[in-house]
Amino acid sequence: MIVNITVNGEPHEFECAPHESLRTVLRREGYFSVRFGSETGETGAAAVLVDGQLISADVMLAAQADGHEIETVEGLASPLSLHPIQEAFIATGAIQSGYATPATILAAKQLLETNPDPSEEDIRDALSGILDRETGYLRPVLAVQRAAILLKGQRVEEIAKALIKPLTYDIDIDDLTEPDLLDPVLPKVVPHPEVPETAVVGKPELKVDAVKLAKGNPAFVDDIEMRGMLHAKVLYSPHAHAWIVAIDDSKARALPGVRAVLHHGNVARVRYASGGQSYPNPLPYDQVSFDNKVRYVGDRVAAVAADTVEIAEEAVKLIEVSYDVLPAVFDENDAILDGAPVIHDEEDMEGAHDASRNIVHHLSADVGDVDEGFEHADRVFERTFRVHQVQQTPIEPHIAIAYWDSDERLVIRTSTQVPFHVRRMVAPLLDLDVKRIRIVKPRIGGGFGVKQEMLIEDIVGHLTKSTGKPVRYELTREEEFVSSRTRHPQTITYRTGVDESGRLVAQEMKVLANTGPYGTHGLTVQMVSGLRGLSSYKARHKRFRCDVVYTNIPVPGAYRGYGAPQALFALESHMEDIAAALEMDPLEFRRMNWTTTGDPMDVAPELGEGDTEGAFVPVVTSSGIEECVAQGKRAISWQRRVDPEWVNPRDRPHIRRGIGFALCMHGSAIPGLDMGAASIKINDDGSFNLLFGATDLGTGADTILGQIAAEVLGVPLEDILVYAADTDMTPFDTGAYASSTTYISGMAVKRAAEEAARMVVDRAALMLDERPDAIELHDRQAWSTDGRSVSLADIALSSLHQQQQRQIMGTASYVSPESPPPYAAQFAEVEVDMDTGQVEVKALVMAVDCGVPINPMTASGQVEGGMVQALGYAHCEEMAYDETGRMINSKFGPYWIYRADEMPRIDTYLVETMEKSGPFGAKAIAEIPKDGVAPAIRNAIVNATGTRIDAIPFTPERVWNALQA
Amino acid sequence: MTIREYHRPATLEEALALLGRTEVKSAPLGGGTALNGLPEDEPEAVVDLQSLGLDSTSKEENTLTIGAMTTLNGLTEDDSVPPMLRELSHREAPNTIRNAATIGGTIGVVSPESGLLAGLLAYNARVTVVNQTGSNEVSLGNLFADSSHLDSGIITSVSVPTGGAGAYEHTARTPADIPIVLIAGHAVGSGSIQLAATGVGETPIIIDPRQIGALEPQPDFRGSADYRRHLADVLSQRVLSRLELEGNP
Repeated sequence: MIVNITVNGEPHEFECAPHESLRTVLRREGYFSVRFGSETGETGAAAVLVDGQLISADVMLAAQADGHEIETVEGLASPLSLHPIQEAFIATGAIQSGYATPATILAAKQLLETNPDPSEEDIRDALSGILDRETGYLRPVLAVQRAAILLKGQRVEEIAKALIKPLTYDIDIDDLTEPDLLDPVLPKVVPHPEVPETAVVGKPELKVDAVKLAKGNPAFVDDIEMRGMLHAKVLYSPHAHAWIVAIDDSKARALPGVRAVLHHGNVARVRYASGGQSYPNPLPYDQVSFDNKVRYVGDRVAAVAADTVEIAEEAVKLIEVSYDVLPAVFDENDAILDGAPVIHDEEDMEGAHDASRNIVHHLSADVGDVDEGFEHADRVFERTFRVHQVQQTPIEPHIAIAYWDSDERLVIRTSTQVPFHVRRMVAPLLDLDVKRIRIVKPRIGGGFGVKQEMLIEDIVGHLTKSTGKPVRYELTREEEFVSSRTRHPQTITYRTGVDESGRLVAQEMKVLANTGPYGTHGLTVQMVSGLRGLSSYKARHKRFRCDVVYTNIPVPGAYRGYGAPQALFALESHMEDIAAALEMDPLEFRRMNWTTTGDPMDVAPELGEGDTEGAFVPVVTSSGIEECVAQGKRAISWQRRVDPEWVNPRDRPHIRRGIGFALCMHGSAIPGLDMGAASIKINDDGSFNLLFGATDLGTGADTILGQIAAEVLGVPLEDILVYAADTDMTPFDTGAYASSTTYISGMAVKRAAEEAARMVVDRAALMLDERPDAIELHDRQAWSTDGRSVSLADIALSSLHQQQQRQIMGTASYVSPESPPPYAAQFAEVEVDMDTGQVEVKALVMAVDCGVPINPMTASGQVEGGMVQALGYAHCEEMAYDETGRMINSKFGPYWIYRADEMPRIDTYLVETMEKSGPFGAKAIAEIPKDGVAPAIRNAIVNATGTRIDAIPFTPERVWNALQA
Repeated sequence: MTIREYHRPATLEEALALLGRTEVKSAPLGGGTALNGLPEDEPEAVVDLQSLGLDSTSKEENTLTIGAMTTLNGLTEDDSVPPMLRELSHREAPNTIRNAATIGGTIGVVSPESGLLAGLLAYNARVTVVNQTGSNEVSLGNLFADSSHLDSGIITSVSVPTGGAGAYEHTARTPADIPIVLIAGHAVGSGSIQLAATGVGETPIIIDPRQIGALEPQPDFRGSADYRRHLADVLSQRVLSRLELEGNP
């Protein structure tokens, strides 16, 4: 049928089918800012204005829009210009991945056209239909407030970092402020006297990719058109555990438009592990592209490529599979019982600890002698905790497009955190040499670990190989929930011995971890659980024991925080309870025991970090935890928790209020393993191309790495042109994981820039007839000590064209022997309804020591968004199953993630320390915001009610049951 | 993807003729937010009601008649609508959905978790359904009990009394979440209060606060049957005491 739709003021006639959504048709017509988040409209990434009203284009038929006027973000501004709302979103740091930014900007436009002076509540309501997994909604709300001012033609303040007065030390700086008086848009930094003055580093520079994201320019995997492209669909298992007895694909192949049907009968059996990790990938290799056994509801059975998505869907239904259904097991405690179903009983299984008992890994680490420690302890405490399964839910699901280029090399354009690992890992599966494969990572719409995986690249690769055509495969929202990756559930038991003064003597952590049917990250996530679970506090004797077991649940993998959020929920709950039993102040008890500068991280070498022979025990080189606690206490008004009138408000008899704390300690990269590399070259105008392998997921990595190069070369950030994460074009990087990009890739960029800077200086010395050591670079000039200067543009022209010609460039790589820990103090405030068990989280405050924040705006955004993800983990998100192992809430709504209009107060402090091993003093920040929210809420519930709940999430019935116990 | 026909009739007669066809499985289309995007159970033909002029609201004496194609945001923003129903309409969905979803569609789809439907039940809402034999007014409760009232018909409007006081209470995982149980109450005249609930039956239902124990809720991962009965009890008492306070200041 033909529909007449006016888009951005221009009338169009579009051909479409009656069932097609407005999103499908707009994207087909080139409006790529309208993005897929879910079929059923809840993400709002596809929201457009229909006759001025914001509507999810997922759930509107194109036919319904016939005769109506549509606005997309493409209509807001022409090339090289910006609409004031776009300016405001860029300036406030409201854009992370930018995947749903166009929809958010349209929401702001509708609101401000009808309501030029909106309240915060009005703004939050306007944004309520656009789910954001990245920003915590704080900066988008501030962006709309700023846009309102700009649209009225009024002046706005420049956004700089706000310097907050330290509470635990003195510093000689003039413009220190009190946090209460601040504009909330300003990132708050508590300065440290050892941090030197810098020009670009340490400033809230605008993100280098912000303009294209604010304008909705085609930048993501799916924002391209390829002639003759086929669409893939996958048949997933309806059974949790079954042998595939037979597959009859004849009806599917006979369907017109079907180009390939692949399954275990026609694809070579090559074993691999899908976790995106360094070579050699950790054992076991327990997967193949298509197996003759399925091990969870949602496991792969077969893949189809067809001319359209609809034909591919139809073909999948026509594949006839007969299964021999086997008993299944879902709980990690049941999986190791005698007689439990054996999940990997295939003949070619290799590398598991004991596959016949479903035990994938057995981990242990010892420091001192725990048994002796417990003997000498005055009191010993023991408690068991359970953490559940959640999904990362990036708003952009996994998507990949494969095609043969003109050299008949296979190009895979994919939404990944690990392009270099994907290239190496997919090659043997496709029977291609690594050199025949190119992986390109464009902008991606969030990852959070779920894309640290070689997940669907083999499918599009196999299908392109077998058809010769470009093939696109995008997961549906249900497939993203069920058939991608999730967080590991664990059962955790802590035992801790203390002496009579409250000092820890011995600490033991036992973990039974559920890795579902495949190992992927099963080894390393659990190593991080042990590392993080036994590093926060000093105890002479420590012991870690862990079994990682197979079950038939959807596959756990990497999720921001890795094993730390699990471990720290248990640890910080346990520590709170010990403090209470000892009748000690919970902060004082932790302070007495926490590790700080100079303390050894003694369990690290036992868990793969540092020298495993024990010769090198890493030491904490910087810690701002004391200041973090002080800032957080003030921001949350900590003293209220001991005021009975506040805890038990008289006018609301069924409500109890509480405040809780958790100490967080994380790492910065994997020492001795994670490697990043960068190269940089000068252009004719004195600008630089900066190329590196590090992978920006929306975090701002491209920006902060550009800032580091700009600082070294004495140019503004706009003179650094960043291109990254393309296996043909950029140097290697392990990828975006393990909180490594700032610390590792940042150091590689710094060194590459320093090499280029040396060449710039040499050339300047030649041109100025001066000694190189008398030259300094700043303000786009090379300066001699006598005040003469030559511009970088003239240096470039001289060097490229005029005399002793050579390319000014630098290349470097970096791997670190250490992993300096960021620290943080996490506070939470809650209200508990004693009659229903409903918990409302009123405030989250995190003060975090990330060394020197290279960009306080993006760093603050990492904390704001990370805390809100962690809030979901603690409070409302859970994967629920029926008795057959089928997930019953694989849809936003039943699976609830926080919305803009229901947020607690979110407050972030960046407490500086000078970490000498990091680039310009930086440590990591991306993952630590995930670590402390669950225990802080749990401890706030203890403060409010006296009830100790040892499992998450704190959903109403769980809390009510605990209150009755 | 089974939708093969899209129709946008200009008159009610035309719409009824399309829906009355026995050879094509057809469904009326309000905003489409519930129907579109569902891979299962899609009709073969949709009959879009947007051109039938069913989006106006009128008030006669103590009765407000709301056109079925009024969007949830239209309802939220209409200050002639009782405040509780406006609030429940607002909390039904985020604004990207409320701008499209209609009150008629919400009734036709009968989400068991719709707080708005519980509110309408508490208000003794009456629904006008037009089919080829004529126009019928049926109470919302009866409509839920017997879906044959909707066979080949079109919901054209919903009527509620404007008088009395309304109040609701709910329990959910987070403030904006779909409630596990929601109780809506409407007090009319002297002491007569009607309560309705979500989360305790297959549809939103009218409940008697003295008969909570007889309810048979569908348990799910958010709430067992016992817990849902407990919530129905606690929340009913809260609604009753709020309405009694408002009735006797």
